[in-house]
Amino acid sequence: MIGSPASVASPGSHPPSVPQWLLQQDVALCPCGCIGKRKKGSYLAKTIQGGAKLLQQVMFGEDVAAARGVLQRIDPRVKLMSLIGLLVVAGLSHSMITLAVMYAATLGLAAASALPIAFFIKRVWLFVPIFTGIVVLPATLSVVTPGDIVVTLWHWHGTPEGITQQGLLAAGRLVARVAVSISLVVLLTLTTPWIRLLAALRSLGVPRIFILIIGMAYRYLFLLLTSVTDMYQARQARTPGTPRHDRRARAFLGASVGTLLGKANQLSEEVHQAMTARGYRGDAKSLEQPRFHPADAYYLGSVVIFAAVMMIGDHLLGR
Amino acid sequence: MHIPDGYLSPQTCAAGFVVAVPVLAAAAARVNKRVKTRHVPTLAMLSAVCFLIMMFNVPIPDGTTAHGVGAALIAILLGPWAAVIAVSVALGFQALLFGDGGVLAYGVNVVNMAIVLPFVAYGLYRLISGSAHLTSPRRVVAGFLAGYAGLTVAALCVGIELGIQPSLFHDANGAPLYSPYNLSQSITAMLFAHLTVAGVAEGIIAAVVVAYLQRANLPLLQVNHPGIPVDADAAAAEGARRRRLRPGVVAGAAMAVMVVLTPLGLLAQGTAFGEDSPDALKDKLGLSTIPAGLNKYAEFWRKTLFPDYGFASGEHPVLSYLVSAVVGILIVGLVVFLIAKLVTVATHRGSSTADARKSEQVRS
Repeated sequence: MIGSPASVASPGSHPPSVPQWLLQQDVALCPCGCIGKRKKGSYLAKTIQGGAKLLQQVMFGEDVAAARGVLQRIDPRVKLMSLIGLLVVAGLSHSMITLAVMYAATLGLAAASALPIAFFIKRVWLFVPIFTGIVVLPATLSVVTPGDIVVTLWHWHGTPEGITQQGLLAAGRLVARVAVSISLVVLLTLTTPWIRLLAALRSLGVPRIFILIIGMAYRYLFLLLTSVTDMYQARQARTPGTPRHDRRARAFLGASVGTLLGKANQLSEEVHQAMTARGYRGDAKSLEQPRFHPADAYYLGSVVIFAAVMMIGDHLLGR
Repeated sequence: MHIPDGYLSPQTCAAGFVVAVPVLAAAAARVNKRVKTRHVPTLAMLSAVCFLIMMFNVPIPDGTTAHGVGAALIAILLGPWAAVIAVSVALGFQALLFGDGGVLAYGVNVVNMAIVLPFVAYGLYRLISGSAHLTSPRRVVAGFLAGYAGLTVAALCVGIELGIQPSLFHDANGAPLYSPYNLSQSITAMLFAHLTVAGVAEGIIAAVVVAYLQRANLPLLQVNHPGIPVDADAAAAEGARRRRLRPGVVAGAAMAVMVVLTPLGLLAQGTAFGEDSPDALKDKLGLSTIPAGLNKYAEFWRKTLFPDYGFASGEHPVLSYLVSAVVGILIVGLVVFLIAKLVTVATHRGSSTADARKSEQVRS
């Protein structure tokens, strides 16, 4: 699945290898579950769904990365560097206009890179209202952000309190900046195969040891995910009705995580023996030497010019 | 707890990387030294497991579910440095592959979840579990509290990082540029969510997995607990072994203490109390008569091995002084050894009769 995404993707009509039911997803929320909706539901079903969602995102990403588009042709190193640069520009800009222009640019790039625009917009704008929108709503009030009151909502000891101009500006700016940042990251990750992204990280100075660990972790993530899904499906199959969230449920969680750790431990022993048998002595060499193409230079140049225009424009629009 | 891009100023993000990068380098060096070439596959599997642990839905008592980070668990099982790398890699997956947590904010996220969390959790775990044996319920409780406290402290860090934004970064009109809530608001919000739900989830993960490994996979638990006795009996035996008097050690220690204290004798002035010869007493104290008993017994025993710390012949004064010192030390050591030996024999006999009595009771 991971190795051959290109062979299954055909240009023009995509995504061919992702089943339709897998594409009916909701947005990426903070996985630690501290913010967002707290849905009631079986821990078994939720974990199985989580695993399916993970696979779906990866398969979808591989499909899009194999499509023919502008960004897919660019060297991952160039893309990564320009992503970081543009994220900093978005972070430093103060004006809503600058942020709006940047968002429009990401939409254009997404269209040029054969990304499904509806998905691209949904991914950002479903995430932003749920997470950021709710979080910043109280910030528009004078209680949080004091300033010039636009809409008076109540009076507190004779002083009007309500939505302030500064609060609105701050909330709008935060929402816009988060939207631009997410769009930029999605643009990079959806148009770059993971393996090439790793190579780009390596050439940007991330130590080889980390690249090796990340690459191997990604390789075995799916194997371990399969055993998790197996355990949970087996448990669900022998659980009639709705599973209760009691002591036994938590004991099952402990057993499944503990088993997973044991399996991973054993697997790492075996993999290490196999690596040593093939001559591994703690160092790895990569065969692929990526080269710069003229297209990369054009892209890099235009990103630099765009970033400079954004910064200057932001200054001119006033701080 | 994953901070997305846009909530923090680029300056704060840079500060996050300034803290995170050296710690990551130190963690890589430490782990590398400990497990040599095996570290790549081991850490890779751990990182994959850590990523999956974040996916597990933890059933919590209110009927809903929550996610933990799993950093406390990995710190308990394989040490905080391994947890730093595993959680960082898992966070990298989430940021680059799934868009959870920002790319610029990656450094800050690493500081909160991959550095603060495992170290706080591990410190607390060591503190609470103490020298309890490996299958003790105390270790399960310690695991829960470690996860709970670790995640809460990490949430406090997030609250502080978000809370300093409005006062540090705002425009001319006073409108905040990044996260708009001040310290009191953001810390309250973060701590409320994590004290009630997410901290519990992190604690549950650590506790139930430690409990499971105690039942089913002790070798995995022993990796980071070297030399800790497995069950209560082994702990008692270990304690008894430690408490048992070893005559050789006691004698050696007594000799060592005396050797160390020797210079005190050189610093002291005058001669030792009560060791004066009858003639010296006469000179020093001006005694006109020497007590008859003293006179009689002062010269009673003259057949010493080293008269006046020298050979009987009086030759080689320096060498003989040293020899007499060594012989003296050895004799003192031998005496202490014999006394300790006697004590151990006596106590051993006592405890073995007690054991015999106990087994007698069991049989009857």
